[in-house]
Amino acid sequence: MWSGPLVKIGDYRYEIPKTYRGINGNLKMKVPALIYASDEMIPSIRKDNAPEQAANVATLPGIVGKSLAMPDIHWGYGFPIGGVAATDAEEGVISPGGVGFDINCGVRLVRTNLKVNDLDKNKIRQLVDELFKNVPSGVGSQARVRLNKAQLDDVLQMGARWAVENGYGWEEDLEYLEENGCMDVADASYVSERAKERGKSQVGSLGAGNHFLEIQRVAEVFDEEAAKVYGIEKDQIVVMIHTGSRGCGHQICSDYLRVLEQAVRKYNISLPDRQLACAPVKSKEGESYFKAMACAANFAWANRQMIVHWVRQSFENILKEDAEELGMHIVYDVCHNIAKFEEHVVDGEKKLVCVHRKGATRSFGPNRKEIPKKYQKIGQPVLIPGDMGTESYLLKGTEQSEEAFGSTCHGAGRVMSREQAKRRWSGREIARKLEQKGIYAHPASWVVMAEESPDAYKDVSQVVNATHGAGLSLKVAKMVPLGVVKG
Amino acid sequence: MYKIIEHTADVGIEAYGKNLEEAFENAAKGMFAIITDGSKIDCKVKKKIELEKGDDEELLLVDWLSELLYIHDVENLVFGEFEVKLNDRLIGYACGEKYDRQKHGYGVEIKAVTYHMLEIKRNKKGVTIKVLFDI
Repeated sequence: MWSGPLVKIGDYRYEIPKTYRGINGNLKMKVPALIYASDEMIPSIRKDNAPEQAANVATLPGIVGKSLAMPDIHWGYGFPIGGVAATDAEEGVISPGGVGFDINCGVRLVRTNLKVNDLDKNKIRQLVDELFKNVPSGVGSQARVRLNKAQLDDVLQMGARWAVENGYGWEEDLEYLEENGCMDVADASYVSERAKERGKSQVGSLGAGNHFLEIQRVAEVFDEEAAKVYGIEKDQIVVMIHTGSRGCGHQICSDYLRVLEQAVRKYNISLPDRQLACAPVKSKEGESYFKAMACAANFAWANRQMIVHWVRQSFENILKEDAEELGMHIVYDVCHNIAKFEEHVVDGEKKLVCVHRKGATRSFGPNRKEIPKKYQKIGQPVLIPGDMGTESYLLKGTEQSEEAFGSTCHGAGRVMSREQAKRRWSGREIARKLEQKGIYAHPASWVVMAEESPDAYKDVSQVVNATHGAGLSLKVAKMVPLGVVKG
Repeated sequence: MYKIIEHTADVGIEAYGKNLEEAFENAAKGMFAIITDGSKIDCKVKKKIELEKGDDEELLLVDWLSELLYIHDVENLVFGEFEVKLNDRLIGYACGEKYDRQKHGYGVEIKAVTYHMLEIKRNKKGVTIKVLFDI
């Protein structure tokens, strides 16, 4: 239970004032911390130490604006999950803890021309089984292709483009990915042999944990105009992919945490928590981490790109129709664990800052040059995966999100530990309940099914409504699952 | 001996041993019980692990577990038996087999060994280790 000060400063906005001295009474916040949440969410947010972590982040050298947390905030390694922090691009620091272990964990949404009436229960079952067969998933899932060293370097430096050039997907796909599926700054020579070794056999695999692949139905459209631009309508069938950079990204994060721990001493940075390890953006260590992180981000985009290709193939195999005829275009692809240099208005001035998003999604509104032409008038699509068996959301980015460095939430924050969830429910029991709701699930294991059971998470609708209320992103459509492939 | 512990959304282990070596062995056992469902893992492939010791025991523990995690990830092996010798270096052996979902069941994918709440404590009975994983 965290009992520090949370001052309501507006609708859906709670501030930890700069004067807060922390649990140990010696914290020196450089800026206030701001948590976006509805009044009802506050008791659950106070349950773990995440607000203290948001306050800790406010002590980082060069932090600008406020240390932010989204409504799905929960305890994370160093930074809270759901945390957003921007640091000065010259004087600030960069921190692997502000990105997380699963670098560029993200979500991709693929549309189809199919309506819910086109697929009966049996077809859904066939599709899910086919997806399960074609997309490797689960603990230690090994990809269908094993890359050699040169190929892996290409993946790390080219991202989704590598996949497209090698026959995984369509040229137009790249236009609908955040960063067009590649951060150019990536340099594979900054990635350890170990990270590469882990990456070689895992590109093109879903992995385990909360990652999933879902066939969904658009259950509700809130914003017809935006939905139309995104190619979305009620009762349409869509596919959502949620995965990241696998062991490759985890290893890069682990490697650089070690490097940056040394840097903390070298540059004499004082931190309230060892896990906030960081280095000046402009230092050798900081730049090296960023180049390596970009490689992991590219790995994740290539990963999701290969999966999209197999999703299209699976639909073709079962429905005996071309993916193009089925209209299986990518709506968008967002990352929710990343650091990027972006221009934002700070204290009335345009400024280049290093934005850390850890369990937070970019939410750019209209007219930002970074988003696809087709979406310029509406703002970027924001994809919020729910937990298995409930619902996911498509939102649109807003100008208002500028106050949060163009960011919004990323999903449903976990409220129960995985062990607790495992003890409380059996996977088969959950599968049966889902089946009653008309959802067919094919998990790699029953244990994971229990761990990822919907009740272990905060209600995603509550999270989305809070960001909608705060204006960080606005609801466009709600999707519910018809079939689930679980890692 | 070890037990699985929980911390908010994460999971970790508390491992015991009459000395540091045994505690390291048990910590490794606990980690693989989390990755699998605790089913028996037969000893078919033996791996030798050598690590520089330095003067930070906590770092060494993270290194030891990270090394095993790395081999698990790259070679798709799971381990059930361990032997650790600590002199001026750490020399460890891990024995296990290829991961088989049917046989070993399925636990959690561990992304990394973390420094959070990392603890090595000594008392009359021996050594207790606490370590959390990012999952």
